[in-house]
Amino acid sequence: MSTRSLRDRMLDPSDRALALLLLSPAIVLILAIVAWPVAKLLANSVMDVRLSQGVPVRFVGLENYAAALADGMFWRAVRNTMIIVVVTVPGALVVGLALALLANMPFRSRGPIRLALLLPWAMPLAFVGLIFAWFFHSEYGIVNDVIRRLGYTPQIWFNSPALTLAAICIATIWKTSSFMALILLAGLQTIPNSLYEAAEVDGASKWTQFREITLPLLVPSMLVALIFRTLTAIQSFDIPFSMPGPGEETQTLAMYIQQQAVDYLDLGYGSAVAVFMFLLSMATTWVYLRYIRGDER
Amino acid sequence: MRSRLVAALLALLCAWPSLAQDRANLRVFVGGQQRPDIMRELFREYEAANPGVKVKLEVGGASSDLHQKYLNMVLTARDTSIDAFLIDIIRPAQFAAAGWAEPLNAYLGNDLETALGGYLPAYRAANTINGKVIALPALADSLFLYYRKDLLEKYGEEPPKTWPELARIAKKIQAGERNPDLQGLSFQGKAVEGAVCTFLLPYWSQGGEIIRDGRFAFDRAKAEAGLDMWLGMVRDGVAKRNAAEVSTDDTRKEFQAGKVIFGVVWGYGWNHFQKGADTKVSGNVGVTTLPAMPGGEPVSCMGGWNWAVSAFSKQKEEAVKLIRWLSTPYVSKQLAIRGSFHPAFTSVYEDPEVLKAVPWFQDALPVVATARARPITPVYKQVSDALRINTNVVMAGVKTPAQALDEIEQRIARAVRR
Repeated sequence: MSTRSLRDRMLDPSDRALALLLLSPAIVLILAIVAWPVAKLLANSVMDVRLSQGVPVRFVGLENYAAALADGMFWRAVRNTMIIVVVTVPGALVVGLALALLANMPFRSRGPIRLALLLPWAMPLAFVGLIFAWFFHSEYGIVNDVIRRLGYTPQIWFNSPALTLAAICIATIWKTSSFMALILLAGLQTIPNSLYEAAEVDGASKWTQFREITLPLLVPSMLVALIFRTLTAIQSFDIPFSMPGPGEETQTLAMYIQQQAVDYLDLGYGSAVAVFMFLLSMATTWVYLRYIRGDER
Repeated sequence: MRSRLVAALLALLCAWPSLAQDRANLRVFVGGQQRPDIMRELFREYEAANPGVKVKLEVGGASSDLHQKYLNMVLTARDTSIDAFLIDIIRPAQFAAAGWAEPLNAYLGNDLETALGGYLPAYRAANTINGKVIALPALADSLFLYYRKDLLEKYGEEPPKTWPELARIAKKIQAGERNPDLQGLSFQGKAVEGAVCTFLLPYWSQGGEIIRDGRFAFDRAKAEAGLDMWLGMVRDGVAKRNAAEVSTDDTRKEFQAGKVIFGVVWGYGWNHFQKGADTKVSGNVGVTTLPAMPGGEPVSCMGGWNWAVSAFSKQKEEAVKLIRWLSTPYVSKQLAIRGSFHPAFTSVYEDPEVLKAVPWFQDALPVVATARARPITPVYKQVSDALRINTNVVMAGVKTPAQALDEIEQRIARAVRR
């Protein structure tokens, strides 16, 4: 705080005007592509805007919010989204960490392994969803083929909400682990080798080294990766959309918003639900940021 | 030198009127499944007959949902670049309420009766919303019951008139053929638009309606009986266990592969079954009216596409002229002969040239005549989702019919709120 006010005092008025001038394109851009849509979203969320029905636009206060809170479909979407967050975020962290440790091992063919690591990350989400939808198809899918060969009863995956969510989580973890691994790999490489050498001299086992050196020093990278992963998990759309379960039983919050606002052109209600998702994302980020700040202190 | 310049200027002036004669540059949007190649040929024909009018084709998605998503975007933005478009038979009410289609009454004027008189009555009704003519029929369609003529003959059976009869015949043939891959019946249980018809067929057959006189009128008992009928088909092994995964084209492919005795599919199936490159059922396909519920009427689900003029077009006069030509018996006949599309005119079904090209239209007319329009409402998308999704969850065994009906009622009530 004090450093900033010091710097302010050092700028004379003409410098400040120049700074403002130079910053203005960025400010205008941010206002246009961030602030304006958010303001529009908030404004729509308290209006009745139904474009396909010729109903006049009118102010309805918090009616849309109340309707969402009373709507079973909304809560089902929240529940599905939370399941995806709770399963795939730690899931991707564990798998990603394993992949990062593997890629960090001192053997020859690290190049191809790192390349293979990048592949799922580079693939479009909808692509992954469609591929996994085929894997889990009850008649033509490879998963049921394996189950059949092992002598178990094949499942009609997309007939059951629980099995569909499981399939969605598997696809999501597969897709997002590489991003986790990438960030964690960068973190791993900043850990000085001398620490491990010293631990080796002291006779620490590999497991102790991992627990006492690798994990604690990796926490900052993990937090960064977790923020990104959690936010994208809250916004899950592509994969669940391409792997639909029975009816809308596995609809996520983002899919629900898309349905209401884009398919039904009920912009008021869709905006209100979007505001809920926005709040959820903000709250999550806030928790992480507090944790990081607490850590630094 | 100067004289040459003057001559050139004069020539330019003479050419001017012909340049200005470009009366209209129309842009028309059709979907990928409506044979853009044939549409383009027809547009060339129109251009030749109407000098100065240019018609450009824009091709959209291959499913009705994708087609509509694009139009939603263009029309909510009040884009003026598209002058006319095809809309699905389920949409005129939405286009009327949203003000996206130019009502045609004023343009038709005194011709209104003659212009609309030739259409099959259901098509005329589906395109007229509160007295406003929203679109003109282009292509007709309906669900048909396709059956394996060879198998029915082998077991001495006639095409069924009711669903229980269909189940009985299917079970008899399945038992006799001893082929575990042979399905008795294939219908759409996946949450696609086809599942709306799956829900409606037995419901309508018992006299049920979704919207009566503009108000929501739902008959739970009839809806439940309908869903129970489909569930029974799966329980008895007539339809396959994963009926909830079957989409429209799955039924078509599996019937074509000889794995199905009775298939519920739209008109496009016929060409695939008889002439498809890998068809196993060519020559063995029969087509008939869909069965009724016991004591009910045979009904089919009406499909089809209609020409509408964009409310945001800047060349409405010319666009209306074009779609009026496109919605004539002449064009309808061309579409039937070149693309096997069903006409919306009774007269075209009886045309000898048409019957020569597509002989099965003789059997198709009675089916198309029993076809009913899906609920005509501005919130069709919501109604459609409520019906298709709940049909799907019932087929998947996730919800009981009673639970699904609760949700249908809640969702439609919310959609029609004022």
